[in-house]
Amino acid sequence: MAMRDLVTGGAACAVPGSSSSSNPLGALANALVGSSSKIEEKIKEIPTSIPSSSERHFYPEANDHLGALDQPFVDPNSQGSEFLRGFRSAAQGELAAAWDEIQGPLGRESQSHIPQLDHVYDRAAITQPQQPILDGPPQRVLSSFLHSFVDSSRGGVPFRPTPLPILGLSEGDKQCIRDRSSIMARHFFADKSEDFINAQVNALLCSLDIDGNAQAKGPLPGRYRELEDYWNESQGILKPGPPAADGWVAEFNQQRMEHGDGDAWAHSYEQQHGANGWASEFEKSQLTMVDQMRGANISNLAAMEQTRMLANTLAQNDDPKFQNSKFLQFVSKMSRGELIIDDNQVKESASPATGDWAAEYQQQYNRSPAWADQFLSHGPDQWVNEFAMQAERHGPVDNQWVNEFSKLHVDDWAEEFEHQVGEGVLGENSADNWANAYDEYLNEQVAAKQRSDTSRGLYVFSDMNPYVGHPNPLKEGQELFRKGLLSEAVLALEAEVLKNPDNAEGWRLLGIAHAENDDDQQAIAAMMRAQEADPTNLEVLLSLGVSHTNELEQAAALKYLYGWLRHHQKYGTLAPPELSDSLYYADVARLFNEAAQMSPDDADVHIVLGVLYNLSREYDKAIESFQTALKLKPHDYSLWNKLGATQANSVQSGDAILAYQKALDLKPNYVRAWANMGISYANQGMYEESVRYYVRALAMNPKADNAWQYLRISLSCASRNDMLEACDSRNLDVLQKEFPL
Amino acid sequence: MPVFKTPFNGYSVKFSPFYESRLAVATAQNFGILGNGRIHVLDLPSSPSPQISELASYDTADGVYDLAWSESHESLLVAAIADGSIKIYDLSLPPTSNPIRSFLEHSREAHSADYNPVRRDSFLSASWDDSVKLWTLDRPTSVRTFKEHAYCVYSAVWNPRHADVFASASGDCTLRVWDVREPGSTMIIPAHDFEILSCDWNKYDDCCIATASVDKTIKVWDVRSYRVPISVLSGHGYAVRKVRFSPHRQGLMVSCSYDMTVCLWDYMLEDALVGRYDHHTEFAVGVDMSVLVEGLLASTGWDELVYVWQNGTDPRAF
Repeated sequence: MAMRDLVTGGAACAVPGSSSSSNPLGALANALVGSSSKIEEKIKEIPTSIPSSSERHFYPEANDHLGALDQPFVDPNSQGSEFLRGFRSAAQGELAAAWDEIQGPLGRESQSHIPQLDHVYDRAAITQPQQPILDGPPQRVLSSFLHSFVDSSRGGVPFRPTPLPILGLSEGDKQCIRDRSSIMARHFFADKSEDFINAQVNALLCSLDIDGNAQAKGPLPGRYRELEDYWNESQGILKPGPPAADGWVAEFNQQRMEHGDGDAWAHSYEQQHGANGWASEFEKSQLTMVDQMRGANISNLAAMEQTRMLANTLAQNDDPKFQNSKFLQFVSKMSRGELIIDDNQVKESASPATGDWAAEYQQQYNRSPAWADQFLSHGPDQWVNEFAMQAERHGPVDNQWVNEFSKLHVDDWAEEFEHQVGEGVLGENSADNWANAYDEYLNEQVAAKQRSDTSRGLYVFSDMNPYVGHPNPLKEGQELFRKGLLSEAVLALEAEVLKNPDNAEGWRLLGIAHAENDDDQQAIAAMMRAQEADPTNLEVLLSLGVSHTNELEQAAALKYLYGWLRHHQKYGTLAPPELSDSLYYADVARLFNEAAQMSPDDADVHIVLGVLYNLSREYDKAIESFQTALKLKPHDYSLWNKLGATQANSVQSGDAILAYQKALDLKPNYVRAWANMGISYANQGMYEESVRYYVRALAMNPKADNAWQYLRISLSCASRNDMLEACDSRNLDVLQKEFPL
Repeated sequence: MPVFKTPFNGYSVKFSPFYESRLAVATAQNFGILGNGRIHVLDLPSSPSPQISELASYDTADGVYDLAWSESHESLLVAAIADGSIKIYDLSLPPTSNPIRSFLEHSREAHSADYNPVRRDSFLSASWDDSVKLWTLDRPTSVRTFKEHAYCVYSAVWNPRHADVFASASGDCTLRVWDVREPGSTMIIPAHDFEILSCDWNKYDDCCIATASVDKTIKVWDVRSYRVPISVLSGHGYAVRKVRFSPHRQGLMVSCSYDMTVCLWDYMLEDALVGRYDHHTEFAVGVDMSVLVEGLLASTGWDELVYVWQNGTDPRAF
């Protein structure tokens, strides 16, 4: 116990209700030990509740705000979800008691129970600047230096520090810089590899003469770590640690990182020439290319492209802010030949060292900035010639570089390219992935069909259902459905039908939720159970008709649609019961047309007609029917979706997108409409677009099997074979990251 | 709208819950990598003018990463300092008497502070030492330490309705929900594949929470069904540094990012991105929405500027 504690009285001699400073010896003690009395006074001033108006304020007129804020939010226990209130499973334990104790009058008293308090305040009093305020020239140097480090993050390109004067940083300062810059660098360079981040930080630390190997806050453990490993592995980065001595490779490596993936070249090409253009263009140029290619490693091309891409991408970012950034100025200087990179150092441009390929390359690149443009304007042939010339000129050095590069065997693109060239050389027509993927898809479809036929009508419940045991799952399910949380609604409704297997409404809503979630199999299964429970429910019959139409099962669809008519109180008379044994499309369509004439203002009849015309593939008539129905029911989102689907079927994908958009405006979480939107984009050849919509739909409902198949096809068509694995493993995280909407 | 130039790089800005014209700004020298820090307490002009007046400022030996106004007294501020300390400042006392408290328990940078809005007697600090600590003004030591995260904790935020519940966002890619009456976290949500830098509770739906990540997205979660986010908001070009829910509108959120922009979102709308401000010329790292004036926004960034503006207006125009 410190002296002051003894004199002023710690816990032992505290007078209840008074603070320690009221102890008559307190003042003496303070005088002896060094004053803390002021601070103690202040402690007393800290109110435990809102101060009364008698208390002094800076702005007395602001007092009226206090009242309004008396209850900043709400009474803690009167409102809020059951879920969080019931959070606590255990009985009121010690923790809860301790927590409760800190509230109320006890709080202030506790102060006198704790003798160490004075130390804390002592320290508080002397915490004022412990280190000299950094100012003057060293501070400015350091500041601008750190500035350039932070700037480098913007372009995500290697930080190239300049030598610094000795700043006289203390060990503590160095530790700070090391730790904090490492942590921050991970935020800036999130899409770069750990190696890149380390290189970046090491560059900073080296210049500041800080030992980068001392223990800093390490990289992330756990998931992130694995991710990194995976990334490194998949990218074939074999060099861990600080930047390699052979500058070019590291340089290349880092610049490649800039693009995040090895396919950047392919993408840009695709953007310029369209998805299919790539193959045809490639084929055209193949003949001329092959001969010249044979000697040179294909990877070479990719590397050169990467470098070109970097400058190009940066130049294309016309955000003035980025144009003003110090980093960009650095790059543009480089591209004007004012700076060169040599042996991992930035140098003012001079005549290149002969035989130094990196410098040579860099300089050539600088001297002819038009090279990239030429490539674009003259097309591949011209470019190939140029390349061939350059390749000759560089000769053996070039090959050495090539070997070095190929050690990295980085990108899928190069392999893909090589692969195709190989096929080209053999004279075979490049069997493109598209055809393969399509075959695969067809096979899958057949398999899925077979699978589904055997399991048809069997409703599959989810394994883990948090709503089981819920007092009123139906109500919860309806609520969730209304909010558009379809997957969640499905769980609640499953809980309901588990509890009450004869609840037709539960099954029906469950079916609708599945249908909207783009899961027709489950929708049909649920609807069939609903129909069992209530054979005459019109909505159920209509839904079953629609679902079977979607699955192209005419007989079943007709059966249910006819059933709808027969059980409708108004149109029941139109439908002779004997017909139901042998239904023909024409008969059913005729009956519905009669019904439509009977009451032209019944939207439902027009809807069924629209569905029927879909069955017979009379899309124009179907569109007409749906449009009529929409005039009567403009806010029926599922109707907009039906219209869109029909338009898409009749090759009016542009219109279809508008209709889907309408549906989504009315119901943002309408998974089916998202997936349909994707189909429409795919139909128009906009595969990359379509992928985004499929991924969006799948993010909302990963169980939509059809959407996964569509996604796969679109990925193939968009030449995004790199993402096929993510698709096959249903890795939504990767897909969502790659294809944000 | 008014602008204030801070000598150091801005880190955080918070409106006072008591005075509609008052806000506090946390700043740090050299982007918080090395150097001093300063807290500015600012008053907005009563008539439209570009002048923001400084009511008080406090220097610290290390950068100030975050601060929180007391919910119980209008003159108290809690600051999270880069040296790991948590300091309390009382505006009603002269600068020489401040800080009135300094709690040094965190072994690494303290990155966020949040005052309990329901009980109003306690606050949380989140630190790069992977822990969250619960404090009261009167105790010399923390009431509790919550140490489960495997990497830096960037943010810990109280639930606006349940006095005992808070959430923490960490670089270990998880969001954790805690009940202070429980020994451990009650929920772990692997919310992103990259570091999570910020989180905030919806002020109208106590089960709804948003996370902001280095992966450039904001995700909105329902803690009752956390396998899939309610919404994934994409639009920022770099790591999202901070996210805050509106005190006035259920779906509205504001975020700021290393892409130098401040974005407004309504996650309940199809086109969730409802506004974008690119007034900052360096990373935007601090943003807040006034609880007393609907639509009033404040932001700060590494361009050493604090902007205060009404939503819908140009922050730079006055």
